[in-house]
Amino acid sequence: MLLLTLETIDLNGAQSLLNLSNNLNLNKVLPTKVIIWKFRNNNPMRKSYINNKITIEAFDALIKLAVEMSKTLYPYIREILQSRDDIDKNPYPWNDFKNRFIELIYERFNINRMRVKKLIDTNGNDEIILKNLLALALCCSDEGYQKLRSSLLNF
Amino acid sequence: MLQNKLTFNQSSVRLEIIGLPDYANNENKNQISIISQWKLMIIDTPLIEGNIDHLTSIMGAFYSYSNFLINNDNAFYESKFIDIIAENYFTHKVLLKSSKPDIKPLKINIGNAVLSDIINCFDQLNASIKVRKVNSVILDNPPKKGLLKFINKDKTFIYLLPPLISLCSLILISSTLIYFYNLSEDKEKKALINSKNTLHSIKSIDTIL
Repeated sequence: MLLLTLETIDLNGAQSLLNLSNNLNLNKVLPTKVIIWKFRNNNPMRKSYINNKITIEAFDALIKLAVEMSKTLYPYIREILQSRDDIDKNPYPWNDFKNRFIELIYERFNINRMRVKKLIDTNGNDEIILKNLLALALCCSDEGYQKLRSSLLNF
Repeated sequence: MLQNKLTFNQSSVRLEIIGLPDYANNENKNQISIISQWKLMIIDTPLIEGNIDHLTSIMGAFYSYSNFLINNDNAFYESKFIDIIAENYFTHKVLLKSSKPDIKPLKINIGNAVLSDIINCFDQLNASIKVRKVNSVILDNPPKKGLLKFINKDKTFIYLLPPLISLCSLILISSTLIYFYNLSEDKEKKALINSKNTLHSIKSIDTIL
């Protein structure tokens, strides 16, 4: 979900993830777009869900990618959060983000699942979207990897 | 003596650290190891300032609170100097309590954007090599190592499969045997045979007699 949130902001998200993987020397674990896509298909909410048995190395690499990408995209994440805080003054960034997020969900997720139905419910999905954005905004630092990792392992 | 000043900016927040280098340790003159004062400036809110103890407390509070938010827990933090409570998903109530008497606590409402800016400023301060690290809790919940094993399912199955199979087969075999060998029934049969034997013996005695 965090990677999908980042992809909602970065229109060329898949390529950016691969470039970041090369920059962070994660080529061994995530060498191509297809491998990244395969690992991302471990999410049971996806249409193309396959249990690929994600390794701890791949799990760590994906967290590093999410943190690094959120560092790069922090100004945009902040703008969207600010827009939600001042929804009456400047609703456009938030609404644009939300619409694109829902579009991506329709495109990639199995909308018959109850959890996915909650994600596309325009009246009730603000909380979930905000939580994802805030998690990314609070983890875009050098300690971000540790924070996000411990949070994900505590689920 | 002229003090050093370092600023960390992030959009709507500015953090100023004022202090001196530790000359006893032959530190660079641009370094700040003894923090004498700090100022946190947030747009549209009053200036927040204090000494090193306040900074440690405030940084710890914000980090703990943000960890609660990341972990999807009920975000709430309370301490001697600062309370932070989530009013809803968009607003966070910060209550700063002064250590000086007769000064009322300062109430500030901040949004998610400002909260992330504050954390970002503190992260910059922590990452800075020019300032001595302020002792504050960054990670409240250390990773549970036990969970790590379960991510690598292959190894777990290799270890768990043989004892599981043996346990299942043991249960299966013993339950089948229980079906064929009913202990209570067997006891009853034995008792009947014994009684028959006794009866027979009594009869035989009777016949003899």
